[in-house]
Amino acid sequence: MKNAKKSLLVLSTVALSGSLLLTGCGSNGNNAQENQSANQTSNQASNQTGNAAATTTPEVKEKVTLDFWAHWGSTTRRPIIEKIVSDFNASQDHIHVNYSFQPFGEGWTKELAAVAAGNPPDVIIQDIFTVGQRAAKKQATNLSEYINQDPSIKDRFFPQLWDASLYNNEPYALPFNTDTRFLYYSKKAFQEAGLDPNSPPKTWDELLADAQKLDKLNGKRIERLGFYPDDWGLFLDNADGKLMMDKNGPNFNSPAKIDALNWVMSFNERLGKSNVDTFKATFGSKQNDPFVVGKLGMTIQTGTYFAQIKDFMNPDDIGYAPVPEMKAGSGNWTYGGGFVLEIPYGAKHPAESFEFMKYMTDVAAQKYWSQYLFDNVANQAAANDPELSTNNPVSKFATDNMKWTLVSPVPNNAPDYTSVSNPNIESALAGKTDAKTALDKAQSAVQDLMDSNK
Amino acid sequence: MNTTAHSGSKRRKKPMSLERKEELQGYLFVLPWIIGFLLFTAGPLLFSFYVSFTNYDFTSQMDFVGLRNYKYMFHGDPLFWVSLKNTLFYVVLMVPLTTFASIALASILNQKIPGIRVFRTIYYLPSVLSGVGVYMLWMELLSPDTGIVNLVLSWFGITGPGWMFDPNWTKPAIVMMKMWSVGGGMLMYLAALQGVPEQLYEAAEIDGAGSLRRFWHITMPLISPVIFFEVITTFISGFQIFQEGYVMSSDPTTPGSPMNSLLFFNLHMYLKAFKVFQMGYASAMAWFLFVVVLFITMINMWVSKYWVHYEGGDGR
Amino acid sequence: MSSATTGNARSYFESRRTGERIRKTIMFLLLAGAGLVFVVPFWWMISTSLKTMDDIMQYPPAFIPKHWHFQNYLETWTSIDFPRFTLNSLTIATIGVVGHVISNTFVAYGFAKIKFRGRNLMFSIVLSTMIIPGFVTLIPQYILFAKIHWVGTYLPLTVPGFFGNAFQIFLLRQFFLGIPNDLIEAAKIDGANHFYIWRRIMVPLAKPAVITIALTTFQGAWNDFLGPVIYLNKESTYTLQIALQMFKASSGLSQWHYLMAGSVIVLLPIVVMFFVFQKFFIEGMNISSGTKG
Repeated sequence: MKNAKKSLLVLSTVALSGSLLLTGCGSNGNNAQENQSANQTSNQASNQTGNAAATTTPEVKEKVTLDFWAHWGSTTRRPIIEKIVSDFNASQDHIHVNYSFQPFGEGWTKELAAVAAGNPPDVIIQDIFTVGQRAAKKQATNLSEYINQDPSIKDRFFPQLWDASLYNNEPYALPFNTDTRFLYYSKKAFQEAGLDPNSPPKTWDELLADAQKLDKLNGKRIERLGFYPDDWGLFLDNADGKLMMDKNGPNFNSPAKIDALNWVMSFNERLGKSNVDTFKATFGSKQNDPFVVGKLGMTIQTGTYFAQIKDFMNPDDIGYAPVPEMKAGSGNWTYGGGFVLEIPYGAKHPAESFEFMKYMTDVAAQKYWSQYLFDNVANQAAANDPELSTNNPVSKFATDNMKWTLVSPVPNNAPDYTSVSNPNIESALAGKTDAKTALDKAQSAVQDLMDSNK
Repeated sequence: MNTTAHSGSKRRKKPMSLERKEELQGYLFVLPWIIGFLLFTAGPLLFSFYVSFTNYDFTSQMDFVGLRNYKYMFHGDPLFWVSLKNTLFYVVLMVPLTTFASIALASILNQKIPGIRVFRTIYYLPSVLSGVGVYMLWMELLSPDTGIVNLVLSWFGITGPGWMFDPNWTKPAIVMMKMWSVGGGMLMYLAALQGVPEQLYEAAEIDGAGSLRRFWHITMPLISPVIFFEVITTFISGFQIFQEGYVMSSDPTTPGSPMNSLLFFNLHMYLKAFKVFQMGYASAMAWFLFVVVLFITMINMWVSKYWVHYEGGDGR
Repeated sequence: MSSATTGNARSYFESRRTGERIRKTIMFLLLAGAGLVFVVPFWWMISTSLKTMDDIMQYPPAFIPKHWHFQNYLETWTSIDFPRFTLNSLTIATIGVVGHVISNTFVAYGFAKIKFRGRNLMFSIVLSTMIIPGFVTLIPQYILFAKIHWVGTYLPLTVPGFFGNAFQIFLLRQFFLGIPNDLIEAAKIDGANHFYIWRRIMVPLAKPAVITIALTTFQGAWNDFLGPVIYLNKESTYTLQIALQMFKASSGLSQWHYLMAGSVIVLLPIVVMFFVFQKFFIEGMNISSGTKG
């Protein structure tokens, strides 16, 4: 019995210390909450005074604190977004924005949970392709009410970006930044191969011819590739200036796209699929870049790529040009994406959040972002600011390339269409089927998926 | 003596109440789990079961649709059987291999060899590493041309396959990666082996039993409860594989590539839930897999009666 | 017993001893060789963490860094609030260990050594809860925690640990079932109750298993990523695993040298802990000490 008492004592001590630890941590958490609720009560207090004062001086507003989530956490991006936020906070005195980093991808899962639970953040950076999905699923707030107060806002943006922010012709997001893909080539490699470093290929035929001149093959082993259409989708888009998938549905099997896939497949036939895979896998972990280390003569990349590589190779050796046309006159089509600002559905302060979003997409903030991060921004005036070109020669070119850049949301009933379309195309690229069959199958598989999700 | 007489007399007086008291204490011991289950688990579980009969999408709808999700699973979804096949292939390959490897490793690391603590740490280390970083690392190691795996194979005159780029080799590659991190299982077996009394081995050695026989007749029965645990949990976690297929796909825009060879059941379910927001359908998939895995677990439990040995009886 | 047989026995044991020695040498060499394969990835981590971004971009990647850039560690440490994130991770992991060790040994003892009606059914439910993948219950669980205002605190990450974990209950039950019932009966005869037997006999006897539980819990909490991401809102409460993600870029080049240096720093405590805890591990169990109480 004595023993039993002792053991009970030990047990309760352990439990107690455990609960002490717990309450210790709990109070940590509670502090955060208390702070919040303290803010809220002070808000309410000021709200009351505000209401009382409202009859006399309507300018006095409550001070609102906004939670702003985005995935920018690196030592290069974080200072820029924090500067923009603090500039906004300093620019007026009724809104305070708190920026917090959320891991890329998981942050959006968290937003979903928070929207479902009814406690979402006020503003979030989201993916431009899926705005319509979130609009339809009541995850994002309809911005019509706020846009209608100042309809000119939509003229800020590149038109295709604005279109991508609409669902049933109503806006659910404001575009923040974007990207566009075009051709980079190594002038040094061009010289070595006896090509003119100032005349990049203009058509696919020229691209192929130049690529073959740049290839350095050692038996089966690839020492250097002139070019490889790794992003085969871009070439299918480029062929007829139509995305494989846009908001109206799939366009996989047009004659031009079948020709394009045949052209892409010719690279595998010429070089051998396994050799190409081996080459690709070498750079699969993305630690180093085949173009930078001279293993690839030409590559198709976004506008920001220049800024990323300029420290690792001689900037004067980097040439850039639009994506070559399939045939002369068919157009230098390419595709883009980007991020948008949204107010999650159920957020408490949409009006104030919209104020902040307006600031984020206005010229000053957009210019600052582009100037230091070399990103393409959504605001046309900012993107075309001549000052940007002084420290980033690619800036103007990338902005001009926007006219060839296709951006479209994916239909809501097939956001996962690649899982049924791509295996067909992969099997063509592996030489197991022909281009037409593969694209016909891709087309009908995506159509079936859309029908089954109606 | 005193106490035995006392308890004896007690037993004579109220035999039922003692049994009752024992039973009450049993409930008291499992009470924390019962509370936790009711508070944190039961609700969400029942909710997900109900949701599997609805068109729930987290945020905008939850209408009862009857068996529609289950029908679509078997008759409509083109990727359901593909993903189930991928997961089954992986489980069938991975469970025996990792079980064997971790037992073998644990018995080797249970010996008195110089530097054994360092060795144990080294072999345990890989299981400590977690997340996306490991997968990226393995993509580097499995690179057909410059990766160390094919380099080692080439020493033996073997031309290694394209691994993550060859749909026939992607799943074996992932099993290989799992073999590298058997340290977790090894740790469990090591803990079990610590409980095997040295005297038993010494006695058997004097009897002239070879090391294999000793392992089979002494070690195996004594660690069989832990083998049982490991086999069941490895099965369960094997069926839940999904992140590997996401991160290690050859084309980052198509999770599960090449050719959907890494589109595991749970990856398909995850994409349906969080990319398409068809949580109703994803829940139906989850409960289907639940039945499959539960069935396998029950078979395991039943078979275990014939090979798992509990020193303290089977607790019945 | 005649002297001849003892002589035979001695030479038998001597030859066995030399055999042992040869066997152990071979084992050592095998372990060392295979160990290299296991270590290579870690060397890759360490060597990347010591390279400059310039060196990382070199092709083929250098196995040994050209310049040993130790300031990467300093820069990593200072570029984010490492001490704070470490403290946060440590808090969550420590509470996790305490909760898991107490609750799981307790519950597992009930399942292994006390007879009560409905035990098998309940244990089947324990096993069943392991089968449903976590992300199916992720959102409902979040909604639940949001309703009771736990989101934004450490409570959703720590409190459930005090109510048992299916995997660990199962593991400990297996260990407890391996401990002879005679010990319990003997203790009962001595007047011990189940609390006493649990604390004084079972837990000490299953020490390797308990240490395993403690280690894996710590490691699990330390490495947990999705849980903290979902439930923590203020950056000052973030854990190391979230902080590491800051060095990763959504597109283009990540800051690999910082990412790897950070990963090494995060890995170190676990390695040290495992190395140290082995000592207790090896002591193993000593049946006679259990009965003394």
